[in-house]
Amino acid sequence: MKSVVTTVVTAADAAGRFPSQNDLEAVQGNIQRATARLEAAEKLAAGLDKVTKEAGDACFSKYPYLKQAGEAGENQTKVDKCYRDIAHYMRLINYCLVVGGTGPLDEWGIAGAREVYRSLRLPTAAYVEALTFTRDRACSPRDMSPQALNEFKSYIDYAINALS
Amino acid sequence: MLDAFSRAVVSADAKNAPIGGGELAALRNYVAEGNKRLDAVNAITSNASCIVSDAVTGMICENTGLIQAGGNCYPNRRMAACLRDGEIVLRYISYALLAGDASVLDDRCLNGLKETYIALGVPLQSAARAVAIMKASSTAHINETNTTGTNPVETRFRKMETVQGDCSALVAEAATYFDRVIGGLS
Repeated sequence: MKSVVTTVVTAADAAGRFPSQNDLEAVQGNIQRATARLEAAEKLAAGLDKVTKEAGDACFSKYPYLKQAGEAGENQTKVDKCYRDIAHYMRLINYCLVVGGTGPLDEWGIAGAREVYRSLRLPTAAYVEALTFTRDRACSPRDMSPQALNEFKSYIDYAINALS
Repeated sequence: MLDAFSRAVVSADAKNAPIGGGELAALRNYVAEGNKRLDAVNAITSNASCIVSDAVTGMICENTGLIQAGGNCYPNRRMAACLRDGEIVLRYISYALLAGDASVLDDRCLNGLKETYIALGVPLQSAARAVAIMKASSTAHINETNTTGTNPVETRFRKMETVQGDCSALVAEAATYFDRVIGGLS
C-alpha cells in the first residue's frame, strides 16, 4: 500500500541503508499534514451515508435518462448499485485521507475501473457528476476546517480525473 | 508493505466500513507522538554499528567456541557475515519502528530466515541471543538509559541529545519487533 512511509522505506531498503535524515524529514512532513487529513476522514466517515445520498440524487437529477428502460438505473436494484458504488468511492477517499496517499483509490478504485465500466456499459460521466457535486457541495467551516477540506477535495479531484 | 495508517485501511476494507472514531484515535496518537518516533528511529540508526558490533561481541563473549576453529564465527569471513546479518536485522527493525507496523519486518526479513539459517548451519540460539542484546541496547538508546557498562572510559559511549520525555510506549513497541525476530528464529 503506497504511502509516504512505505515509499520511504522501500527506497531505503532498495539502497540497503538505514532510514536517513532525509527519510525522517519526509515522514515528519507527512505527519505535520496528518491532523487535517484525519479530521477530513473522520467527518467523511460520520456523514458517509448522507454524502452518498446527496451525490447519487444529484447524479440522477442531472442525467434523468439513466432511469429509463435499458439504461444503467432502469430499476431500483440497479439504482441501489449506483449508490453503493458512490459509497465505495467515498470509502476509498476516506482510506486515502487516512493513509495520506492515493494508494487505496489506485489499488481498489481506479485499477481496472475503465474496463469494468465499459464492459458493463456504465457511464463514467454519471460518477464524475456525483463526485463533482460532492466536491462543490462541501464547504468550510460548515463541514470541516479549510485545510481538511483542501485534502478532501484533492482526493475527489484525483478520482474525477481518473474517471474523466 | 504496510504502515500504521495502511494497516488500519486494510482491516477496515475487510469490514467494508469507513475509518471513523476509534481507529482514528489510535492514528492520532501516532501523529501526536510522531516526533518521538522519529527520534527513536534516529537513536537506532545513529548508533547502528555500535549496537550491532556490541551485540555480536557479547554473543561471542558468552560462547567463545564461536570464534575457535570450527566455530560459526571462524574465520573472519563468517564473522563478517554475522555482523552483516546483525545490521540487516536491525535495519528492518528500524523500518518497522518508523512505519509503526511489523509487516515490512515479516515480509522482507523474517520470511524464510529461520529456514535459511538452518540450511546454512547458523546456530539459531546464538543468533537469537545477539538480537536480544541488540534489543537491550536499542531500547536503552531510545530511552537514553544507556550506560558505559563495565568500562568507565568506553570511548564509543554517547547519549542522544534529545529532550527528555516519556518514551515508554515506543520502547515497548520497539521491544516487540525485536521479540518478533527472536520468536521467528526459535
